[in-house]
Amino acid sequence: MSEDRLDGIGVTPMNGVGSVWWFDAGIDLPSDTGDRDPGEERERYEAARSTVDAALAQERKTVAERIGEEEAAVFDAHRQFLTDPEIEDEIEARIAEGTAAEHAVNEAYAAGIERLEDMEGMMAERADDLRDVRDRLLRALVGEQDDGESIPDDAVVTAERLTPSETAGLDPERIAGIATVTGGATAHAAIIARSMGLPAVVGIGEELSAVEAGTRVLVDGDSGAVVVDPDRGAVERAKARETVPPIIDRVETADGTGIEVAANVGSAAEAEAAAAQGADGVGLFRTEFLFQDRPAPPDEDEQRAAYESAMASFDPADRVIVRTLDVGGDKPIPYLDLDPEENGFMGARGIRLSLQEHADLFETQLSALLRAAASDEGASLAVMVPMVTTAEEVEATLDTVEAVAADLSDRGVAHDRPEIGVMVETPAAADIADVLADRVDFLSIGTNDLAGYVMAARRDAERVTALHDPLHPGVVRAIDRTVRLGHAGDAWVGMCGEMAGDPRLTPLLLGLGLDELSASAVSIPRLKRRVREVDTREARDLAGRAIDAGTLAEVEKLLDDPSDPTD
Amino acid sequence: MERTITVVPEDGLHARPASKFVQTAGGFNATVTVSRADGDGSEARADSMLAVTGLGVRGGDDVRLVAEGPDAEDALDALEGVLTTPADELEDDE
Repeated sequence: MSEDRLDGIGVTPMNGVGSVWWFDAGIDLPSDTGDRDPGEERERYEAARSTVDAALAQERKTVAERIGEEEAAVFDAHRQFLTDPEIEDEIEARIAEGTAAEHAVNEAYAAGIERLEDMEGMMAERADDLRDVRDRLLRALVGEQDDGESIPDDAVVTAERLTPSETAGLDPERIAGIATVTGGATAHAAIIARSMGLPAVVGIGEELSAVEAGTRVLVDGDSGAVVVDPDRGAVERAKARETVPPIIDRVETADGTGIEVAANVGSAAEAEAAAAQGADGVGLFRTEFLFQDRPAPPDEDEQRAAYESAMASFDPADRVIVRTLDVGGDKPIPYLDLDPEENGFMGARGIRLSLQEHADLFETQLSALLRAAASDEGASLAVMVPMVTTAEEVEATLDTVEAVAADLSDRGVAHDRPEIGVMVETPAAADIADVLADRVDFLSIGTNDLAGYVMAARRDAERVTALHDPLHPGVVRAIDRTVRLGHAGDAWVGMCGEMAGDPRLTPLLLGLGLDELSASAVSIPRLKRRVREVDTREARDLAGRAIDAGTLAEVEKLLDDPSDPTD
Repeated sequence: MERTITVVPEDGLHARPASKFVQTAGGFNATVTVSRADGDGSEARADSMLAVTGLGVRGGDDVRLVAEGPDAEDALDALEGVLTTPADELEDDE
């Protein structure tokens, strides 16, 4: 039945069955009386065109930075279609006759699409570009946001691609899963799908496009495939793998070592969902989502409310670790005016921005955090700073915390000093983990970026994606060093990268000595089960052999069969 | 003023070469049309992505460019440059 199974990349260890619903399908056009005022319709069309042009320019910039110049060129073609004089002449002719702008666009583009479709091969593929541009224009004209309202229950939402905000707009209670033609496991949209608990398979390729709306499919996020017209056996097997009831209590290894299993979240709502999955707190609250998709940053009160709301979902024994704003070129925020190069992977991002040009945002955020720390409802609060490479950055952060606290005291505002930690994402931070640990309460290893910087490979750069694997000996040793040096400096050491959520790696990570694992809410029930099975001594032995391993293949082999040392 | 040129980029007037061609054609004070030298003579506006893509020109095909206006010669020189540059050597302006 290989023809019914479309392989892709599974991004969530969950499964869902439902009917295919194409995300881009169906834009409702209002009926056209044909007696519109051409002047008004022309203005509407031109406004829609500038909206779309600005969106295309922004996406081009993002894709050029995150994927590559070659891939970004498609947006140039889209912008050229958008202002194509032949198409514009057709649109203008219709508007002049009194046709409503959306119908003029629809008809003019339909003719162009037909013309390209009549051709062979690659030229015909351009018809898809034209469709893409048309749909953007029509959405802008009818003001449709595709906010998920129109999606039927139990739909498997399929699309060429989903942006992070489109993904975040889906309702995980109502839809069965998502499947996309493009995309990778560590793309931001995939990370969001995982934290929402949405079964998801991405990067399936063009085969997915042939699946018609309404077709029943199984989204097998566990093995990374979409099964078309699955038989009952396939569905049952998938369901059986999926049902892992949460463990609410804290867990210990088989030999009695307590391990905190916390959640990575992007909002207070996700923190609440994570608590229901048995998370022992939050190991990483990404605050970027509070700052994105809006014209101005959230003020101190709004931030404090969000942090306190996340804390309220947990017990006093738990901890909510909030990471201060971690923006760079790959996470554009309109009002910060970031440059993909200057603020990119190797540029001014994370703490580097917070201590310099965005010191005001940093102070506001710290003020909100210090006030939230004084709340006695729910978990305690901790603050973590991203992209640290020097002890001076930590000292400057601590000085800023002191200054903000002094200011709050002067104003008589209730506040408390939270636990403070450093996110270890760079080789420099791993190498001086003892120096950093001397100055803070905890370290948390961000394996996505650590793997990127240790291996000098961006996770979304396709040609080097195989290098971006945290099991390469270079990365395993950086983790080992961070844990050892961090403990030597009297800090506890956790991990909040994607690596922490993979139950296959749990014995290795506990063997390396991590005190806490923080992962997507959806991974937590399995992770807690896995922790209970681990024998610490065996795990240490496994970790020791992984540290000695010379190649990725040797590390992989150890994980598959820990009892058999590499031959 | 007209000129017949053999198209060098392997994929023809597609993707980046097409983008570059259309962008270049729009940058001169000249009206330029493009047609297949061996075709039925139907002419496409060189500044229209749809029209240029719609010609379905492949690498190795001959195309005829016709230009009128003050910058006609400069436009033809620039477009010839685009059509005779392999896709991977095209420079980005942005």
